[in-house]
Amino acid sequence: MKKLLATLVSLLLVATMLLGVVACTPGGPDETDPEGNTIVKIMFHVDKSSTEGQAYQKRISAFNAAYKDKQIKAQAIFKARSAGASGYETELQNNQLEGTLADIITFDAPNTAAYASSGLLYDISSLISAEDQAKFYSLNKYNGKLYGLPIQESSAGFFYNKKIFRDAGIDVGGFTAENPWNLQQFRDVCARLKQFGVTAVDMRLDATKDETAPYLLYPFIYATGGSFVSEDGLTATGYYNSAETAQGFQFIKDLITEGYTSYSIGSTDFFTGKVGMYLSSGWTIPDLDNKYREYFASRDDWGLLPYPKGTVAASATGSWSYAITNNHHKDKTAALELLKWMTSAESSQAITNATGMIPARRDAVGNYAVGSPEYTLMKQLELSGKERPVTIAYPTFSTTFNQVIYGLGNGDVNTLLNSATNTLQDAIDKIKDR
Amino acid sequence: MTTTSLIILGLFLLAFVGFVVYDIVTAKKRKEVYRVKSTATAYLMLLPAVILAFLFILLPILYSLGYAFTDYYLLLPDDIGFVFLDNFAEIFQEISAKGMLYNAIKNTFTFVIGVVPLQIGMALLLALFVNRNNVGSKIFKVCFFAPVVISLSVTSFLWEQILAPGEGGLLNSLLGMFGVAPHDWLRDPNTAMPCIIVLSAWQGCGYQMLIFLSGLSNIRKDLYEAAALDGANWWHRFWNVTWVGLRSTFVYVLITVFIGACRIMTQPMLMTGYMSHTVTLSYYMYNTGYTERLVGESSAVALLMTIFIGGVTLLQRRLFREK
Repeated sequence: MKKLLATLVSLLLVATMLLGVVACTPGGPDETDPEGNTIVKIMFHVDKSSTEGQAYQKRISAFNAAYKDKQIKAQAIFKARSAGASGYETELQNNQLEGTLADIITFDAPNTAAYASSGLLYDISSLISAEDQAKFYSLNKYNGKLYGLPIQESSAGFFYNKKIFRDAGIDVGGFTAENPWNLQQFRDVCARLKQFGVTAVDMRLDATKDETAPYLLYPFIYATGGSFVSEDGLTATGYYNSAETAQGFQFIKDLITEGYTSYSIGSTDFFTGKVGMYLSSGWTIPDLDNKYREYFASRDDWGLLPYPKGTVAASATGSWSYAITNNHHKDKTAALELLKWMTSAESSQAITNATGMIPARRDAVGNYAVGSPEYTLMKQLELSGKERPVTIAYPTFSTTFNQVIYGLGNGDVNTLLNSATNTLQDAIDKIKDR
Repeated sequence: MTTTSLIILGLFLLAFVGFVVYDIVTAKKRKEVYRVKSTATAYLMLLPAVILAFLFILLPILYSLGYAFTDYYLLLPDDIGFVFLDNFAEIFQEISAKGMLYNAIKNTFTFVIGVVPLQIGMALLLALFVNRNNVGSKIFKVCFFAPVVISLSVTSFLWEQILAPGEGGLLNSLLGMFGVAPHDWLRDPNTAMPCIIVLSAWQGCGYQMLIFLSGLSNIRKDLYEAAALDGANWWHRFWNVTWVGLRSTFVYVLITVFIGACRIMTQPMLMTGYMSHTVTLSYYMYNTGYTERLVGESSAVALLMTIFIGGVTLLQRRLFREK
């Protein structure tokens, strides 16, 4: 009896496991639900319970209510990113591998080239009119084709402690997004802050484990006339290690050498009044408004300065975007309806209200007070926003950029750039050959 | 891919059934007392574990072995081409050019050389200390084991705060009390890996301490009494009784710590990022396979690493074989 029982249990276990394996086979989402609605799946990179996640969910619910008669139903999938964005990336790649890609995905703008060239994204060039395209500050283009539309926009700048600046007798009131300061003026302000006895600026040199440092620091390289890759994104040699690019990195190195910034600035040093300026994006605004009230009681105590201008003006831009995927659904009509809904002025406003970022569409931008931090970011985006390099090997670019920043303290700029260029070129060549 | 997996699983199950039939037939030929019913039951009991081992150990190894000879790019899963030994040529080229892979090998080697003796030494010392049944030895046991149950991510973050640069870092502020200037422990190539070695040994030694403790409990007390009667001092008792009694335990600990050390990734990933002075082989593989999406090349490195670890493990077993 015992043996019979053991045999049955064993057989049951084996059957369960085989069923589990079979259940993992790709089936893909159903085209329609029992009520005859066409199902469109959209995958987000945030947690459902987060403020941003809730905002997405509300827009999806609103879409379902509005498209009830047209029998289109959107289903949101939330896969919170972890360890930078790599957790979400892995999920996307696994879905592609299994053939279970959602109809619409969110993705970080620098991945446009890699995703588009591998056929993961659907070409929407002919589906979005030129008039509608013009409403966006930036577009996700690769090889002249449109593959995605941004959810929201981001820009960065130098948050500064007005009290320290007042006490040090530094007047930066004239530096606006329309009339940015130049690199020399930036350096002069740093010198005066150092003279005053504070660390001049937190350039976020310690943020080299993820995308933070590349995102915040790449405009300095463009400002000195440098670049990273050719226009088609396939050549790094001669661009990443050009004299102009070296000049941009040298500027950052000089800030370290002259003692204006360092790798050892604590993450809260600016917020506790120990540092004069702090390079960051719009996401710091809610922190300064709501936390650290002891040091920044109101907006009279802090301000935002634009990126300094070199031979050209350049500022950080680019955030997450939506794209229709090349999944098993051949008819993209329903997906296109959802994409248009999610990128409408109303959705853009709703999402940015939750995130504190800048709306992706010009017609969704609120009436920011002239000179306010939000106005500076928005105006800067409009006037000098320049996207990160578009290349199929963007992850390698990001890694090498971090390595160059990490090595600036002790290393020679040209040596670091030559090594970075070789690595990036090698990666581009390998992927290009695929 | 799932279809391929199912086909391989089917073939594996066929081979398994074939083995069972062969076992039964040859047993009958050998005229052994063999009850088909009992044997079948035994194999069926074994089957779930065999399938799990196949799915989660053997199958990934087989895939990795296959991918090592392809140009598999993660974003093009339907377009995998056979490139024969190109990936291996690429690997040797990168090593000879002293690129990131060269650094990864060098750093992994440094880590293994540093952490294996340190972690085992610490575990043995702690085990000997706790084994003395002093007052509070149970509390010590819990304290020493505590880091093992904390996730590596948490311990890495904790140590990052301890080793933070500037005066804000806990270690720097402690040293500052003695007039030592602040140091950037994790950025300095001379101190980064030693710091990672120390934290890893601290985090892992509690587990090996328990294994040594179980080994110590198997050594007969009368051996110590006999040694004491013979006038053996502390060192002689340790060397001739304890160490001899712990030999097989030591081999097990040595092999497991060595394999674990070869696979180090979390600590450098979270504490320094992908930098030349702390990158390790596992981190290199992860970065190449997932971040750069070059699965073929990453699999080739994985294959070489598996062969190396397997080879060294066999060597260790041979060297420490009981005579």
